[in-house]
Amino acid sequence: MYSVILTEFGISVFNDDKLEKSFPFSNPVKEYLLVKNKESKLNELINYLASIQRGVSVSDEALLAILKKHSIDCYLMDAAQLDNVQATKPQIIVDSGFASNLQDTLGKLREFALGISSSKVTEVSESPDLHIIQAINSLDEIDKIANGLSSRLREWYGLHFPELDNIIDSINGYAQIVLAGKRESLTKQVFEEAGFPESKVEMLTLISSKSRGGDISDVNLAIVQSIAKQILDFHELRKKLEEHVETAMQEIAPNLSAILGSAVGARILGRAGSLKRLASLPASTIQVLGAEKALFRSLKTGSQPPKHGLLFQHAMVHAAPRWQRGKIARAVAAKAVIAARVDVYGEGLNQTLLEKLNIRVDEIGKKYENPTEKYMRKPQEFRREGRGFGDRRREGGDRRREGGDRRREGGDRRREGGDRRREGGDRRREEGGSRNERSGSNKKRKKFGRR
Amino acid sequence: MKDQVQIKRERSLEEDNQSYFWIKSEGERKLATENLVPGNQVYKEKLIIKKGVEYRLWDAFRSKLAAAIMNDLEYFPFENKSIVLYLGASTGTTVSHISDIVGPSGIVFGVEHASRVARDFLDRVASYRKNIIPILQDARKPKEYFSVFGKVDIIYVDIAQPDQTQIALDNCEMYLKKGGYFFLVIKTRSIDVTKSPRRIIEEETEKLKKNFDILQSIDLHPYDKDHAMVIAKYKN
Repeated sequence: MYSVILTEFGISVFNDDKLEKSFPFSNPVKEYLLVKNKESKLNELINYLASIQRGVSVSDEALLAILKKHSIDCYLMDAAQLDNVQATKPQIIVDSGFASNLQDTLGKLREFALGISSSKVTEVSESPDLHIIQAINSLDEIDKIANGLSSRLREWYGLHFPELDNIIDSINGYAQIVLAGKRESLTKQVFEEAGFPESKVEMLTLISSKSRGGDISDVNLAIVQSIAKQILDFHELRKKLEEHVETAMQEIAPNLSAILGSAVGARILGRAGSLKRLASLPASTIQVLGAEKALFRSLKTGSQPPKHGLLFQHAMVHAAPRWQRGKIARAVAAKAVIAARVDVYGEGLNQTLLEKLNIRVDEIGKKYENPTEKYMRKPQEFRREGRGFGDRRREGGDRRREGGDRRREGGDRRREGGDRRREGGDRRREEGGSRNERSGSNKKRKKFGRR
Repeated sequence: MKDQVQIKRERSLEEDNQSYFWIKSEGERKLATENLVPGNQVYKEKLIIKKGVEYRLWDAFRSKLAAAIMNDLEYFPFENKSIVLYLGASTGTTVSHISDIVGPSGIVFGVEHASRVARDFLDRVASYRKNIIPILQDARKPKEYFSVFGKVDIIYVDIAQPDQTQIALDNCEMYLKKGGYFFLVIKTRSIDVTKSPRRIIEEETEKLKKNFDILQSIDLHPYDKDHAMVIAKYKN
C-alpha cells in the first residue's frame, strides 16, 4: 500500500513502512506554503505517482486536492493513520533523508517554524490598510499635540501681546504673527502676508501700538518663535497626512470611503484592526465602534445603548436632528459594512450603495420629521422630584460640588450620568403625577438638557 | 545587593518539584526561573546571579502562571523535558519562563494569531530560545498548525475569545496525551461582560468535566481582575 506524506521539508512516498522515494523541497518555507495553498505544480511527484498506477493514501487535504486535479487515484488517510503520521513525524523526516537524526530534525523544524512565522509577519506588515491606520492615528495625534501647543503659544505670547488672542482665531495666523517677532516689528505687511482682510489689518496695527502687554526678552522670544514654527510645521504635516489618507483610502477601500468619507472610514478601519476584520464585523458593531464604554455600560446596567460612536463624525449623522441620528447611524453602518465586504472580496466602485444610502436617509428624514416622543419631553421631566424646597436647595449645592469633582475625574463622569438617568427614570414612574410641580434652576435644566 | 539574595529550592509542591525558585530580593520573596539564555532579558525583568547561576525574576502581574503560583497552585507539572503546547503566546512573557523550566531538551510550541504581538514574540523570545517553536496560526484551526508533532504533556491556554474553552478543548483532543495536564485561563470579561465572573467560571469548568478531572481552580486576584486559572487532568 502506497502512502504519500507531506512534511515540512518535502514529500515522501512510502510503500507500507518502507521509503520508496522522497521529493525534498529546496526552499521548504516557500514550497510548503505553495502546497498548502494548492498552487504547487509538483510535476515530478505526479509523474512518479502516475507511473505507479495504484490508489495511494495521502496525508494532507491540500496535497490530495492537487493530486486529484491531475487525476491521480488517491484518497485521504483515515483518522488513525493521520494520528500515526502526526505522532511519528520526526521519524518520518529522518527516514525520508530530510534530516540526519531526531535532534537534527528538531532544530530544522524550529528553523522552519521561525521562517514561516517571519514570512507571515512580513506579509502582514506590508498590507496597505495597516499603513492607513498608522497615518490616521498620526493625524489624530498631531491634532492633539498641535492643540495643546497652540494654547501654550497663546498663553506665552499673550504675556507680550494679550490683545492678539481675542482678535485672531486661526492658530496658523497667530503663529505667523508670532514668527514675525516683537510687537514693534509687526508691520502692516506681516498681517497682510498672514492673509488677514483689510479691516483686520487696520485694527491690528492700531492695537499693537498701544498694547498693555509686557516686554519679552530675546531668549524667551526665540523659544516662543520656535514653538510657532513647530505649529506651522505640524499644520503642513497634517495636510500631507490628510491627502495621503484620502488617496490611500480611495485605492484600497473605494467603497468604504464613498460611504463614510476617507477620514471617518480610516478611523473605523483603525478600530476594526484591518480591512478584512472590518468586513467580517456585524453592522451593529460598526454602528457603536468608538462608543465601547457606553455600550458596555448599557449591557451591564441596562442604560440606554449608544446610538453612534465614531460614526457621529459622519456628515449625515452629525447634521441630522438628534432623534434621527440613531436611525441614520444604523443605515450608514449597514451600508458601510457591505462596502467593506465589496472592497475586500469584490472589485471596483459600486455606485448603488451610496445611492441606496441616500434614499434611505431621505426616507428617515421625511418619516421622522418631527421629534419622537422621547425627544419631545421637556428637560424638566428628568429632574428629581417630590421633595421639599429645603431639600432641593441642599441638593443643588451637592450637585454643584459633584460638578466640580466631575470635571476633575473625567472618567467617572459618564458612569455617574448613567446612574442618575436611571434614578430619574424610576422616580418618574413612581411619582409621575408630580412632574411639573417644580421648575428648578436653569443650571439643572441645562445639565440634563445636554443629554 | 548580591549577598542579600537567597535562593531556596521549593520542594513543597508535589513530590520533588525543582522547576522554579523563590528568591529574596529587596526584602520580598519573589519567584524566579533559571535563565536558559544567560544575559538575555525578555520583558526587562531583573536578572540575579547567585553562585554562578543566573535567575530571571518572574513577575506575577505580567504572567498568569506566576500569579497562579503566588495564589497557591498545588500542581505544577512543568518540568525538565516537558513538551508544552501554549495557546495565546502573545509577546512571550510566560512562554519564556516555561522555556526556562523545560530546558534545552523540552519543547514549547507557542501559538499566536495576532501578528503585532507575534512580532515581539519572535524578536524577543523565539529567536533566542532553541526549545521554542513559534506557530503563527489561529488556535481555532488546530489541524493546520505547521511543525507540531506528536502529543504534548501539557496544554496551556490563555486566549481572549468568547468561545475560548471550546477552542481549548478542540486543541486538547488533537494534541494532549492521555493523562496530560491542562491549564486554562478563564477570562470572564472576554466571555461575557454581563454575567457575573463566578458564574462564568462555574459554567466553563462544567464544560471540562466530561473529559477532564478538575484538579484546582484558582482566582488570580489581585494580580489579574476577573481571571481564573483552572488546572485539569485529561482522563485516561
